Amino acid sequence: MTDMKKLRIGILGSFTLNGVDEMFKEFCFNRNIDCETYTCGYNQYNQDILKKDSSFYKFQPELTFLILDVRHILGDLFFDSYKITNLERSEFIEQKVDDVFNLIKSITKNSNSKVIISNFQYPTYSPYGINDGKKELGLKEIIEDINNKIRDRIKKEKSVFVFDFNGFVTKYGEVNVFNFQQYFSGDIKIAIRYTKEFVNELMQFVVAYLGISKKCIVLDLDNTLWGGIVGEDGFDGIKLGDDPIGRSFVEFQKRLLALSNRGIILAINSRNNFEDAIKVIREHPNMILKENDFSCVRINWNNKALNLREISKELNIGLDSIVFFDDDPINRELVKREVPEVYVIDLPNDSSEFAHELTTMIEFEIWNMTGEDIQKKKMYQEQKQRIEYEEKIDNYEEFLRKMDIQIEIKEADNFTIPRISQLTLKTNQFNLTTKRYQEKEILSFSQDRNSVIECARVKDKFGDNGITGVYIIKKEDKEWIIDTFLLSCRIIGRDVENALLSEIIKRAKKENVKKIKGIFIPTKKNKPAEKFFQEFGFKKENEYWVFDTEQTIKSVDHIKIIKNE
Amino acid sequence: MNERLYKIISQVFNIRLEDINEESSPENLEEWDSFKFLVLMDKIETEFNTKFDLKDILEIKKVKDLEKVISKYI
Repeated sequence: MTDMKKLRIGILGSFTLNGVDEMFKEFCFNRNIDCETYTCGYNQYNQDILKKDSSFYKFQPELTFLILDVRHILGDLFFDSYKITNLERSEFIEQKVDDVFNLIKSITKNSNSKVIISNFQYPTYSPYGINDGKKELGLKEIIEDINNKIRDRIKKEKSVFVFDFNGFVTKYGEVNVFNFQQYFSGDIKIAIRYTKEFVNELMQFVVAYLGISKKCIVLDLDNTLWGGIVGEDGFDGIKLGDDPIGRSFVEFQKRLLALSNRGIILAINSRNNFEDAIKVIREHPNMILKENDFSCVRINWNNKALNLREISKELNIGLDSIVFFDDDPINRELVKREVPEVYVIDLPNDSSEFAHELTTMIEFEIWNMTGEDIQKKKMYQEQKQRIEYEEKIDNYEEFLRKMDIQIEIKEADNFTIPRISQLTLKTNQFNLTTKRYQEKEILSFSQDRNSVIECARVKDKFGDNGITGVYIIKKEDKEWIIDTFLLSCRIIGRDVENALLSEIIKRAKKENVKKIKGIFIPTKKNKPAEKFFQEFGFKKENEYWVFDTEQTIKSVDHIKIIKNE
Repeated sequence: MNERLYKIISQVFNIRLEDINEESSPENLEEWDSFKFLVLMDKIETEFNTKFDLKDILEIKKVKDLEKVISKYI
């Protein structure tokens, strides 16, 4: 249990939220997260937030959920918002938005916590009935305005998110989520029965914050992407598009396509004759997903667990970043048993529920969606071309030379800091120290004269890999200490690490630094980086790997380095 | 009915079956607080597929009252 992630969650509410903390612990435990919670006393959120020495701040939350409800914010106006004038209503809106925003600001100022603020549920009743919409600032409009204004105010705040509470109520229905008896008995505004669903929605932020999101969906074909079995029913016999069953698969494919367009990688793992199956993908008129949408394809008669391992290797992503969809329970069991790291979806028997199954998943949430995330599909297509190219050239050195690799080194700035932080948070394989840094910490390193914090953008003849390398160096008088050195898995094996380290050492030498020191902190996953220092020529001295700048520095001739000053 | 009821009580309060009897109440059961009581009523409503009136719920002071109320509804 040593590799359990730790998390401290603060729960601040304007009403009774008993049971939420326990549910969080349960959900977190199921995801191998050791979570501690702080729940504010009944309606004590204001004191907790405004007093700098409150027990809330002493708890040092990392994620804070501020859950305010519509009855609380409107007070008596919830029943009759028209008893004040139009002007007063408009001032009221501004006032409430300011109040909420100031609470958020206090939390981010007094702590390192990220903040998730719930929006407000639109009232479904107005004393003006159907005329509420005709009134200047009707009851619903007031809430819409408050919600919109809060959303716009925090759009640029990287540490703050809105939780769509109104969406949660829409999903499950107000008549279910609000229970009058429980409200009158104990100021409970989310029915006890829905605590589970509520916390499950909030878990989206936990997944995103901890960076444990899934990156790739591996799909079976027969009865998963289309109805029927192509090997038996034939190209014309499978169900895709023109009947109720076929429509359910089209819907599922449309959802998958949208996810892949925003950076989730798709792959195929199917037991089939390659020609039969690929013909459907290439030629079927109702096929939504095209061959190009799949970054890796395994259509063969091999064991599916074996295929999954190959897919993970080819795409250079961990097995624990993979979600597997297969209609066949036997295959699912096989995969669960043989590759337990893979997240296997227990698909319902009814294909009409497939799309819903996909859209209720919270596994794809990421905190800060960077350009690199959205571009992923293109990058993996380019990666596929690289692999095919590599297979064509049997000499690896020659392959590397012909790749025309260019590295652009950039300093940490407003544009690169989110990506730098993201890489430190999620890079596991080629990562020497696996130190995780939030954006705030990266920012403070970048302002420190005695630190070098830079990132590398790697391009080659097939395209732009984006920012895929990061290093942080602490400068001391006569020596530099490597605090962090990491590469995204998709560029491992191209000598980029050697080129970067050479560049660092050359620069150190220029500044009359005598020694470069680094440590390797082993984890379960960073074996690919284990021998890096040694093979580069570092010598072990106690816990450190040390390089004397008078030693010969490895030269990497096939990579061109451009430094942006 | 009692067996089902006692099972729910033991689950919600996280206590042993043999620690529950007709006279169990907030006075002699530490685990019985006002919130847990609402959780209990919610579970009973689900389990017995019924819905109690608020005034009936408010009359429940001990397990014996609970049995009486339930028998009124099923």
